[in-house]
Formats: sequence, structure tokens, C-alpha cells
Amino acid sequence: MKNNNKEVWIGHNDLNSPELQEMAKQEFANNIPVVDTMADEQVMESSTNRRDFLKYLGFGLGAATVAASCEIPVKRAIPYVVKPDEIVPGVATYYASSFVKGGDYTSILVKTREGRPIKIEGNSLSPVTHGGTTARAQAAVLDLYNVNRLQNPTKDWAEMDAEIKGALASANNIRIITNTNMSPTAQKAMGEFLAAYPNAQVVTYDAVSASGMLEANEASFGVATIPNYHFDKADNIISFGADFLGTWISAGEYAHGYAKNRKVDPKAENPTMSHHTQVESYMSLTGSNADNRIMVRPSEQGAAIKAFYNALVGNNMGSELNEKASNALKALANKVKGANGKTLVVSGSNNVAEQVVVNAINEYLGSYGSTITFDRTSNQRQGLDKPMAQLVSDLKGGKVDALIVMDANPAYDLPEAADFAEAMAKVKTSVFISTVPNETGALCKYVAPAPHFLEAWGDVEPKAGMYSIIQPTIAPLFNTRQAEESFLVWADSPNLNADADQPYYEYLKANWETNMFPKQNNFLSFQTFWDKTLHDGVFTAPVAASNVRNAADVNAYLAQIAKPGQGEEIVLFETVAMGAGQYAENPWLQELPDPVTRTTWGNYFGIPITWEGGNSMVTYQNLNQEEYKGKADVVEVSVNGKAQDITCIASFGLAANTFSAALGFGRTEVGFAGKGVGTNSMAWLSRDKDGNVQYFNTLDAEPKPTGEIDYEFPCVQYHHTFGITGQEDGKEINVDEKTLMAIGEGFQGGLTDRSIIYQANLSEVNDLKAKIAEKRDFAKHLNEATLYPYEEYQEKFYSQGHHWGMAIDLNACIGCGACQVACVAENNVPVVGKTEVSRHHEMTWLRIDRYFFGDHENPNTVYQPMMCQHCDNAPCENVCPVGATNHSSEGLNQMTYNRCIGTRYCANNCPFKVRRLNWYDYTTADLFGGNEVSVNGEEIPFGADNLTRMVLNPDVTVRSRGVIEKCSFCVQRIQEGKLTAKKEGRSLREGDIKPACQTACVTGAITFGDFNNENGALAKALDSELNYLVLEETNVQSSVHYSAKIINRDEAIS
Amino acid sequence: MSSVVSPIRQPLVNGGKTYHQITEDICSPTERMPSTQWFIAFAVSIAFLGVFAFSVFWTVYWGIGSWNLNRTIGWSWDITNFVWWVGIGHAGTLISAILLLFRQKWRTGVNRAAEAMTIFAVICAGQYPLLHVGRIWLVFFIFPYPNTRGPLWVNFNSPLLWDVFAISTYLTVSLLFWYTGLVPDFATLRDRSKGIRRRIYNGLSFGWTGSAKHWQRWEALSLILAGLATPLVLSVHTIVSFDFATSVIPGWHTTIFPPYFVAGAIFSGFAMVQTLMIITRKVLKLQDYITLEHIESMNKVILVTGTIVGVAYLTELFNAWDSGYIYEQFAFYNRVLGPFYWSYIGMMTCNVLSPQIFWWKKMRRNIFVTFIMSLFVNVGMWFERFVIIATTLARDYLPSSWSYYTPTWVEIGLFVGTLGLFFTLFLLFTRVAPVVAIAEVKSILKTSGDQYSHEEH
Repeated sequence: MKNNNKEVWIGHNDLNSPELQEMAKQEFANNIPVVDTMADEQVMESSTNRRDFLKYLGFGLGAATVAASCEIPVKRAIPYVVKPDEIVPGVATYYASSFVKGGDYTSILVKTREGRPIKIEGNSLSPVTHGGTTARAQAAVLDLYNVNRLQNPTKDWAEMDAEIKGALASANNIRIITNTNMSPTAQKAMGEFLAAYPNAQVVTYDAVSASGMLEANEASFGVATIPNYHFDKADNIISFGADFLGTWISAGEYAHGYAKNRKVDPKAENPTMSHHTQVESYMSLTGSNADNRIMVRPSEQGAAIKAFYNALVGNNMGSELNEKASNALKALANKVKGANGKTLVVSGSNNVAEQVVVNAINEYLGSYGSTITFDRTSNQRQGLDKPMAQLVSDLKGGKVDALIVMDANPAYDLPEAADFAEAMAKVKTSVFISTVPNETGALCKYVAPAPHFLEAWGDVEPKAGMYSIIQPTIAPLFNTRQAEESFLVWADSPNLNADADQPYYEYLKANWETNMFPKQNNFLSFQTFWDKTLHDGVFTAPVAASNVRNAADVNAYLAQIAKPGQGEEIVLFETVAMGAGQYAENPWLQELPDPVTRTTWGNYFGIPITWEGGNSMVTYQNLNQEEYKGKADVVEVSVNGKAQDITCIASFGLAANTFSAALGFGRTEVGFAGKGVGTNSMAWLSRDKDGNVQYFNTLDAEPKPTGEIDYEFPCVQYHHTFGITGQEDGKEINVDEKTLMAIGEGFQGGLTDRSIIYQANLSEVNDLKAKIAEKRDFAKHLNEATLYPYEEYQEKFYSQGHHWGMAIDLNACIGCGACQVACVAENNVPVVGKTEVSRHHEMTWLRIDRYFFGDHENPNTVYQPMMCQHCDNAPCENVCPVGATNHSSEGLNQMTYNRCIGTRYCANNCPFKVRRLNWYDYTTADLFGGNEVSVNGEEIPFGADNLTRMVLNPDVTVRSRGVIEKCSFCVQRIQEGKLTAKKEGRSLREGDIKPACQTACVTGAITFGDFNNENGALAKALDSELNYLVLEETNVQSSVHYSAKIINRDEAIS
Repeated sequence: MSSVVSPIRQPLVNGGKTYHQITEDICSPTERMPSTQWFIAFAVSIAFLGVFAFSVFWTVYWGIGSWNLNRTIGWSWDITNFVWWVGIGHAGTLISAILLLFRQKWRTGVNRAAEAMTIFAVICAGQYPLLHVGRIWLVFFIFPYPNTRGPLWVNFNSPLLWDVFAISTYLTVSLLFWYTGLVPDFATLRDRSKGIRRRIYNGLSFGWTGSAKHWQRWEALSLILAGLATPLVLSVHTIVSFDFATSVIPGWHTTIFPPYFVAGAIFSGFAMVQTLMIITRKVLKLQDYITLEHIESMNKVILVTGTIVGVAYLTELFNAWDSGYIYEQFAFYNRVLGPFYWSYIGMMTCNVLSPQIFWWKKMRRNIFVTFIMSLFVNVGMWFERFVIIATTLARDYLPSSWSYYTPTWVEIGLFVGTLGLFFTLFLLFTRVAPVVAIAEVKSILKTSGDQYSHEEH
């Protein structure tokens, strides 16, 4: 062929070329190569002979065979026919919505990618949750893609509706069972249903209820409501068994307020913080954060409240309570007596009399109007226990002929669950409305599947006048119908336009136009108001200040408080992750370690742990002596005549003769993740004489060791403490350091002298500052003895551009675990299941280490979020033989998954042990098939199905077997922030980049930023003498700074 | 070769052998049907090799999760076995190279088998670095080969990469050394055989004719290889020790490791030579060539190196105490008294205390005691590596991550399996090659043969 290069116009020079101009006039190019080729004599006289032909044929056939036999992956990518305006592939869209499950509420932003919700973030516009989230809210997105969801109604909707309507019309007694329902529009819909069926009644109950408190407030103030607690305004917080940071009513909201007054100003001469006393029987998340814990047996709770009241008002404290607690409460009473309006007393008790006395205590301390107000009362617990108990007996008596169960699970979570389940057989018509199957649903005749809240419309009023919107972020995945719509359909409501595209949306909007729109005067047209509300996700209407007066006769109630029981008792509690079992089908939550016990995938029988000299802790009946090897004993526990086998865990902070077990486990009719996990302790609950459920009981007999050993003990932290103290031979020694050793007296200082945790009492802050300064100076001195001084290196590589870092305030961290779940969701961190966790194969990039310190009988706790420290002199980087982990120019320690061959040398050499190997094919991303591990006996391994995979974050690589992974500082977010700034032609602004853990944190314990930004939040956080680097003397030059833990312990109160 | 030998020295060849008898004695085991004992041993070894194959399959198919390693303890039996085998592989080269340079005549009786053992041990050792990686199908990433990814090179800072070079060099040089020594002996075998066997040995002996030129070149090559191999004896285990010494983990980060590891390697290597030789000389009836003299010499080496290792252990403890560094102090405190105390006791007993009986000549020359001791040392050295690797990792910096370790059947299977691999190879070796270097023994016959050195015989 001729050189025809010039025929292509490649630059303006060619414009003047006469050849080109000539050519441009012709329709066809002069030299069509084909013609040339055809003209070539040789081509026409083809020299291909028979042999060549056979060669080509052979090769062609062979090549085709090889190519055809390669399995070509099926790609299910379907392009948009018409691309929606709001979707740009690769760019996330956020929608404001609300996470609601029963009484749990979080205002959220839902991150969607290509139409799939993949992550939940906090909504910072919310006046309730202030942008924080809980672990439960973070995990909710996975429930949307739960393979075990209810997908179809029992029958075709129209047919089923007709049958149900017919049955309801002929029913004499219709009951609707629901948990707390905070939706005003749903209430309205329910109202229409009740009007249509006058025989119907709604019974609202909560598995872990505040019934006693609601009744007490009715008695004291005439309003059965939960007041507005201001934890930020209290200097003294006293909690009688209320786990207000973990599970109680609106924990996220309370934790946000609580943390405000717990952060210590490092600059202050005499820093202040609130003082928190927890009176409780087992160590709850809240108790572990308390400055002082007063241990009482569960049945002594009432006596403790009574004693405290008496101590305050100057009465005789009596002798019902154990002496130690009595003295402590006396000291506490003296401490808080004068501080009017600066104290907040809460109680988790579900007993009316006890709660009335708590009200009286608050009244006495002047809390009402300052730390407790009745303006924004909470709707987050509405359930009453007595009507539910009544309903069970009505059912048993066959008085109810139609039952509609909405999202509730009384066949599991009532103390009389077995009776309820049995009595269900007597109900003629039973309808179950829910997103997921449960024990109750399995007994119902009709199942009306409801959409997940991320597919649904709705509204919430968690606190008076504070409204929040639920909007769908994806079209319903299954054949579902919203519960509210079902009620309206069955009520034949004229207000429901059943032909509309989204009938309930119209209904909701109409309700907002009539009821909420008039409550504001910022917007003149409803549409702008509606748009704004949808955009913000929240709307706050003014409420009138309520002036309530305490009218109860406290002495009458004091007399009603029951005397403490005798014998061995068990306290039953709700965990941060599992609730009362309603979160059991979420694998992320199952694998979230309990903050205090650090166990996953199950509930364990807490046995008291003490020390009486020697080289091991003394546990009840010498059980669990080899917990540090992952072995736990199984005991038989009998309560209410119901005996069950349950695995033990040695627990600090249990009161004498007290055991503990979590509620919400041992579910049977539930998604794969919850099935058979743990032991069902619901049947061990009891009721008091008012019919309110009591979350403790007396053991029928001593727990009996079965002799079995549970080798699958999924506890992620075998080692309890950071050095707790005790007496030996008259002198105080560090017990833990002694018990660590199999032989000998232990190495005193072996734990406490490590530069991992620095903590001190508030009064000793200045000493602590000096200690930190001294230790850090020494570490720096050691680190200077190097051929490669870090300062030069830092100057050379990081003085320009970004240098990412993080600051974590140990005083703000309450250990709730929201960050951990957020990290799992953001970074596609695999779930591994019970067996694997028990082998310490958990994959979490971020964990919250828990250390106890102080007296071994009643220790304090510090939580330390621990993730990759992004060391600038990282020990992992230089040991990788293939260079799979390396350092970015912005100070990030990076993992190149494709390059990793899995020698684990990096993991061994990591002082923080944050690197995780994919031991098995956890993500089904492996080369081989058939070697996936099941998480909890599921048929298709979790994550292998296409539905579950929809939750994956497309910005983060899914790692295959044999590859190491670890925290990346959410490098995808850093990259996104940088690109956005670049596109907008500006430099990065403060807050542009926040990793998932930071956005999830409700207390603001985590600050991410650029070390080179001198005015940023990070620089501000680092400007503190309480700051330190963990293991600074190893000269790894880590980038995560911690601020020391300060407690406000009062030695008189313990 | 020096021709002056002190009459005080004990003879190294007993039985008044002639050159022909030597040839007969050493060649005959390869020429007759193997004994029943051999068949039984071979069957057992093959069975263990089968266990190895199955464990490898299991590991590769399911993943490293089939081992009981965890987020805290990233290495345990795998690297313990690796270091153990590499250590065992040290005796051969030491005997061949260093003792050759030092003109130690007693080496001739044992060098062949020791070199073979070295090679087989290094082959066994080499299995673990391959198998322990998460993605074995990509293990070639570890070699610095030209590629289209940049090109992307390996990380020359990583001790694991140094290992790759150290071990592969060591294997190559050891193999060459061993084979060089075999060439004249293969020629001897060839000369005694017929047919296909003759042709094979002819090929293996590279057409050796025994001409003076051949012998001269052979001597020269042996010396050059000895010179090359000598630094390797010291470097290989030094580099293996760098895997730990260059890390930041207290209990690993120790400058004493290189000499300590080398001494330990020689210690364990000699113990393994003893184990094998005591059986071989009995089974193959080579007592006249592998004499009590040899055994005693090796026991002396064991005593010396065992004591060096003991001193190293104590030095470590002293240094930890003296360091004033809490992590270091705790690591050693924990090593001795923590939950893995039994492995420390095992190590101390087997490696330091028990070899002290070799101060007594009677014990050094007692075959039964020597055999038991050689097993003790091998067990002790295994414990040493376990102590260093697993115990250290189990409790490092952050107490929150501390863990405990027990092996799974797969890990045990791999260990037992490499024993199978080792013995299979060794048993085959005794069938196809002279287990004692014929030419070298003949070279010392006139100076160390009993009929020459001790007239009274």
C-alpha cells in the first residue's frame, strides 16, 4: 500500500495543503486500499494451496474450539433505556429519610448508587439525632436486601383483601397488635380503620417496654408520656439501671447530649465534666461509661431508688439494701443535694411505684424545667404491658376472632409467648403485616408483606412536634404493600386513591397538607413546604411549653416498692445490636461484638468474676477457666421452671449472686442470620403485680454445669482488662498482670506501663498531662536514635499537599459500635459467622477495644476505637515481599489487593493487629467454586446471591480469599472529595471528606482531617496536652491520635 | 591431603578394609533387593506423603482458614516447620564445606548422607513458604521477573524476599556440591553394572573415566564449591532469622538472632544427621564406615552448639530485663511463664539441659543415648521456633488482640506430611546412590583405616 498518511487531516497545516483540498472535493478517496489490493496480481492468483488451506482450517478450528470452551462470564448489565435525570452513573445521590423500627428512630440520609440504597448516614439537620446514627440504623440497609424477606402475599392482593374484609365484617372482636408506632399519618389511617370496624381495638406493646414509666408519669403528672431529657444540661447524671447510651428509649439522642458534657477542655485550668453514677446489676454499655457504678441485685433496684429518695429527703434509709450500695447512695445523695436543677435521675425500671419515686427524686432535685422538660415529649415508647397481658388471656378465652399483627412478634417476645402462640389457634382470622417473617407471622392465616422502610413512604413524630419523613429510595423489590395502605383498603377509606401510582404517598401528602402545613409559617405554598421537608427530611413545628405538676403521693408508692428477693437472680437485658430480637436477622448486627462482653453471634450467661489470689480469676463454680483459649462452659439454667442450656461468659461488674443474659436471641422463625443463634431468654421474664414486665427473675436452682464445653465461643477479645487492681498480702497489686501468667507472680506493670491507654481522674488531669508529656518525650528520644530521622522525611514528603490523619477522643467514645457497622457497610467488609469469629477470623477493619481498669470488683471501662493507624513509618510496608502494601504521597497506608499474595507478614508485624486476611472465601469472589463458608447454616452462602450483593459499595473492591485487607481511611471518600473540589475549581474545604466512622459517630469522638490544614478541626483536636499516639515508642509514626480518657470518679460513691 | 596423622586419633574406617571391600560394602545396598525393613519404612513414608498431598489439597482448596491461624497469630506451625527444616538442612553443607576446608577427615563417612539430608530438608522447608501464602496461584509474584505491569518489581526491603534468594541459592549450591561428590561414585556404580542401569549411571557420572585430569578438576571444583558454600552456611539462617529480627514485634526484634539461629541450625542439623546415620549404618551395615568416632565427633558439635544456643536463650532474657523496655520485658516474661510455658520448658529441656550429658565421653559414644538425644534435640529445636513464632505473636502489643493457638489437623498433616516427603526422598536416595562417599573414604583409608593407623589391630 502506498503511504497515504497525508490523506488524513491531522492539523491546521494540512488545511493549506493543495493535495488535501483537491481530495476534499472528491466524493471518494483516491486510493481505496481494497482496490489496490484487488489489483495486486498475486492476490488474484492466490498462492494458497491445499496444504495452506488445511493449516488455516486446522488453526481456525482449533482456535474456535479453544475460544468456545472458555467460559465467558455472564454480565447482567442492562443500560437505561431512558436515563433518569437524577442518576449519574458513578455519582451517589442522597435522600433524606428516617430509620424507624418500633420505637427506634434515627433521622438519616440514604446514599444511593445507580438506584440502589447502599449506605445510611446521619442527618445533621435533625434536632433529635443531630447527624449521629446507631449501629441499628447503620445496619438497616442490609435488611432491604434480606433474602428471607416476605416477598408475596398469601394470596393475590385483591382476593386476600376481599377475604379479610369479609372476615373482619363478621368479626365481633378485632384486635390489632403493634409495637410503638410514631407515625401520625399511620395513626390517622389506623383511626379510619377503627372507625370502619368499631369492634376493633389497638393493643400497643413493646418487647422491652417503658410501660411502668408511662403509667408512673400518668400518676405523677397526668400525662402518660416520656419527657424530654437533657443529658447535656446535667452536672450529675444518676441512672438506676437505664442503659440510656445503649438501648434505652432514644439512646442515640441521649448519647449525643451526654457526650457534650463529658468532653474535657484540655486548655482549662480546672476542667469540668458531668458526673455519672450508674446503679445497676450487670455492666451495661451505660454502666461501663459511668464514673461510679453502684452494684445492686436486680431485685434491689426498687430498694435502691427508695434508699436514695430517703437519703435525699433525710429519712431513714432502712436496711433493705446491701450495705455497700446503701453507703454509696448516701454519699451520692450528699453530693447532689444542693445542686438544684443540675441533676438528672433516670431509671430503666418497669415498675410504676419505682418510677413514681424517681419522679419524686427529680422533683426534689429540681430537675423538672431544667434537665427534664415536658415540651418535646418523646413518642418512642408507647407500649403498655397490662393490655397486652389482658389480650393474651382474651385470646386464651377465645374472645378474639380476628387478629391483625403489625410488625410485632408477641409469639416470641412476650413472657407468655408460648401461651400466645397456643391461643393463636383459637383466632379465626389472623393477618400478619411485616417486612420479614417471624414466630407470630408463622401462625397467621394471611400474610400481607410490607415494604422495607427504604422502599416506603411515611412520617414519624419521635418527639412532640418534631416530624421526620420516610421516603422511598428504591422501587419495591417485592410484591409488597404498605401496612397503612392495607388498613385503608380494608377500611374502604374514601381518602385512599387506590388507582394512584403510589396511593399511600397521596394519602400522606394530603395529611401533611391538612395537619402539618398549617403548623408553620415559613412557606406559603404547600408544595414548597413539602419539597423542603422532603429535602431536609425533618420538620419541626413549635409546641407550647407544658407545665406539669407532680401530684402523686410519693409515700404511698414508697410503700409499694417490693422488698429485695433472696437467692440467685438473673438480670435480662437488651443488647445494643439485637434489641429484643427484632434485629436478629441482620448479619452485620449479629457480628457486631457486644461492647462490654465483646461476644458476637449469641447471648451468654454472665457469671460473676472475682479474684481471691492465685494466678487465675475466680469465676462462679470455677467455670470458664480457659476463656483465654476460646473455651467456654455450658450450664443449665432454670427460671420460671423453664430450663435451658446456655454458654457462660465470665463478666465483671455483676452484683453478688447475680447472673445475666441478653434478650433477643434463640429465634426460630427468622432470617438465616438469627435462626438458632443463642438462647431464648424471653420465657425467663416475669411480670410485677401491675402486669408490667420485669427484666429480672429468681433462678429456680443453682446453674448446673452440664460438663459440655463450647469451643465455638465467638468472643473477639479474650483478654478482659487493662490492669485491674486487687489486694494481695495487704498491698495493692495489678491482678490482671498476675493472672496473665500461668506460673509465678506476674509481671507488675506489664500491662499498665504500655502506651496504649492513658487515663486519669478529673482531679488529676494535670498530673496526667505531665505523665503523657514525659512518656511522649521519652518515646521521641528513643525515636531520634535512628539513621532516618522522621522529621526530615516528613518535611520532604508531606509538607506539601495533604497529609491525612485522625484524632479520636476517648472521652467522647461510648463504645456503641455504630462506627464499626458503618465501616462494614461502607467498605464491603465480609461477615464470617459464629465459627469463624470464634477462631478470631473476624474481618472488621475497625474494632472498639474495651479495657477495664481500677478495682477488680467494680472496674471502670475505656473504649478505644482501633483501626489502621496509617503509620508513616509503617512496619507492614517494608516486610511485604511483593510490595502489595505501600505508602501514598498523602500519608495513607494503602493495600493493593490485586498484588497481595497473603504471606501475612504485614499482619504479624502490625503492632496494632488491624490487618485482616480473608481466611476463606468469605465474599464468594474466589477462583474456585464450592468452597464458600456459610455464615449460619444458610443454603446459598451469605453474599453469594444477587440480592444481597446489591448492598455492596461499588467504589470499594470486594476482596477475594487469601488477600489481606484493612482500614483505608475510606480512601474512596477522600478521592471523591478531592475530585469534587477539583471539578468545582476550589481547594478542599473542611468537612469535605469524612470517613464512614466519623459520620456514624453520635458523640463526635472521631475527627478526620489534613495535618497540613492548620485551621482545620483536626489541628484543633490535636492542640491538646491530652493527646498521644498509641505505641509511639515503636517509631511507627502513626497518624491516628488519641485523647486520654478522663473519668470523674468519686471514691466516696463506690 | 596430609599424610601425617597422629597415632592418638581413633581410626575412621574399621574392619581392615581394602579398597575393593569399601566398594563392595557401599555399593551393594543399591544393587540387591531392598530389605523388608526398607519396604516397611518406605510404605510408611509414602503413606505420610499421601497425608501431605491431601493436606496440601485441603489448604489450597479451602484456604488458609483451614489452619488455626488468626488475626493475631499469622504464622505458627507453617513457619515453625519452615525454619525447623531449613535448620536441619544446615548440617550437610557445614560438614561438606567447612569441614572440608578445615581438613576434618571424619567428615568423609557422613558427608554424603548429610548433604542428601540437607537437600531433602531444604525441599521440605521450601514447601511452607509456598503453601502458607493466601493465594498460591500468584506466588510467582515473589520473583523479580520482567513484566508488563510497569514493570512492577518485588520489594527488595522485605526479608521474605531475601529468604527466597537465600534458600534458592542454598539449594542450588548444596545440590551442585552433592552431585559433584556423587560423580566418581556414580562411575563406580556404572562400572559394576550392566544394561539399562549401566547407561543411566553412565549418564549420571558424565562419562567419568577416573583419569588424573578428571580427579584434578573434581578436586578443584569441590574446593571452589566448598568456598562458595561456606558463607552460605552462615548466611541462610542469618537471613531466615531476619524474618523476625527486622520486625517490630517484641521477642522478634532482636539483634542476637543471626548467630543464635545459625548455631541452632547446626545444632539441629547434626541431630538430624545422627538420627539418620544411626539408623542407616545399622540397616545398611555400614558400621565400619560410620564409626563411633564419627558419632562422637558429631556429639561434640551438638554439645558446643547446644551450649551456644543455651547461652543465647539466657542472653535474650538478660537483654530483655536490661532493656528497660516494657514490651520486651513482658514478651520474655510471657514466653517463660505465660500460657505457652510448656513449649519454653520443652525447648530449654531438650536443647540446653539434655545435651549437657555429652560432657561425658561414655555418653558421647553410646549409640542408644545418642539416638535418643538426637530426637530430643530435634523436638527441642522445633519448640524453639514455636516459642519464637507463636508465643510471641499470641501476646504482642495490644492486649485486646491477644489470642491463643492450637493447630488443626491440616497443619499437623502438613508437618507429618513433610516428614513423609523427607523420608521418602531419603529412602529412595539410599537405593540409588552410595550413602557414603566411596572416593572420599578411600582417600583417607591409608591414613585413618584401622589397619594403618593402629598397628595393634
